[in-house]
Amino acid sequence: MTHVEVENLASDYLEGLLNPPSRAAVEAHLAECGACSELVAGVRRVLELCRSAEDLEPAPWLVSKIMRATVGERQPTLYERLTALFRPVLQPRVAYSVAMTVFSFSIIINAAGLNLSHLSFADLNPRTWFSRANRAGHLAYARAEKFYYDLRVVYEIESRFRQLRVQPQEQEQETPKPEAPPAGSTEGAPLGQKQLASTEGWGGELLGQAGRAPSAVRSLAEFAMQGRSETP
Amino acid sequence: MDQDLDLLKRCLSGEGSAWEALLRAYTRKVYNLCYRFTGRAHDAEDLTQEVFIKIFQTLASYDAAQGTFSTWLHRVARNHLVDHYRRTKKDRVTGSIEDDLATIEEKPSPGAGPVGQVEARERKELLQQALDKLSPDLREAVVLRDLHDLDYLEIAQVLGVPQGTVKSRINRGRLELARVLKRMEEIGGPAKAGGEP
Repeated sequence: MTHVEVENLASDYLEGLLNPPSRAAVEAHLAECGACSELVAGVRRVLELCRSAEDLEPAPWLVSKIMRATVGERQPTLYERLTALFRPVLQPRVAYSVAMTVFSFSIIINAAGLNLSHLSFADLNPRTWFSRANRAGHLAYARAEKFYYDLRVVYEIESRFRQLRVQPQEQEQETPKPEAPPAGSTEGAPLGQKQLASTEGWGGELLGQAGRAPSAVRSLAEFAMQGRSETP
Repeated sequence: MDQDLDLLKRCLSGEGSAWEALLRAYTRKVYNLCYRFTGRAHDAEDLTQEVFIKIFQTLASYDAAQGTFSTWLHRVARNHLVDHYRRTKKDRVTGSIEDDLATIEEKPSPGAGPVGQVEARERKELLQQALDKLSPDLREAVVLRDLHDLDYLEIAQVLGVPQGTVKSRINRGRLELARVLKRMEEIGGPAKAGGEP
């Protein structure tokens, strides 16, 4: 096989399109001829170079430029016009501002005590708004104060309960377990009767009953009495 | 193919959005073809626009029996590029490989960025410079086959020559490219000639 014949078959050889005898003849020539072998290697590299070449990206404005050059300026549709009109408004920051405004107005309306379904002329007077807001503020403060004091009492009761839970356990550890009193026994009565004599009203009754009740309830009644005597 | 025909029908009925869809589908292909022929992005953009204006004007003359829309598009583009080549032949001064290598060396050294990207860019520039050295007949055959993946029949339809001629041109084009690359390698050193040993 001559050099020219090998050159003519170079592409077919590299693309695997040759029949076995031709392929064998080309390979035999390539094994002997350094120049042809180098040339075929060069063509192989060309193919690799072309296959690895990526498409180039045209400028992004090219399509719109061609559109203008062919069909001219396209008339925007109604939807596109509306979108363009509202585009400045449809921004997250605008939505956030609107939400904050609505929130602020709702707070003002609540504070001013306005009922939007039954508005009267008096509702339009800023002085009324102020007086209602003032009243609402004071009410809220009073409620908060009451809640705080109620909470104090609850905590106090809780802490007493906790102490009382600890005390019986200690007593049980110190003294041997007493035998269970018979039914109707008045073993716990002396304390209850003693205090019953020195107290009056509901606290006394409660203590009287507490004489027969477990010690935790008894202490609670004591605490209630204590609180009663402290209040004027 | 059916999608192209559908878009084509809608274009012919005056639907602007169909034309835009067709443009978006083929702008990249035509631009790349133009770029491979001119080697300059700015010229390729102008030529792409001219090709599409021509296609827009002659859209009604497309006959599906003579081949796919893509083949027809390539033929229109190729004919326009040949016209452009003939038109600008007098203005064009063919440079030597040495000139091209000088311009490569003037470019900033590829120190920044990953090595792979730099190599890819070098290979792209190298390929384009080698393609510029081919005669238009061989160049268009190689570009359509190896860069645009058209088969021999499609290339024959685009170029209006028999398949045997197409095959011969592609082979000669590849051989010529291999020789050009070798010469570039000899002049510019192994680092400039594609990175492949």
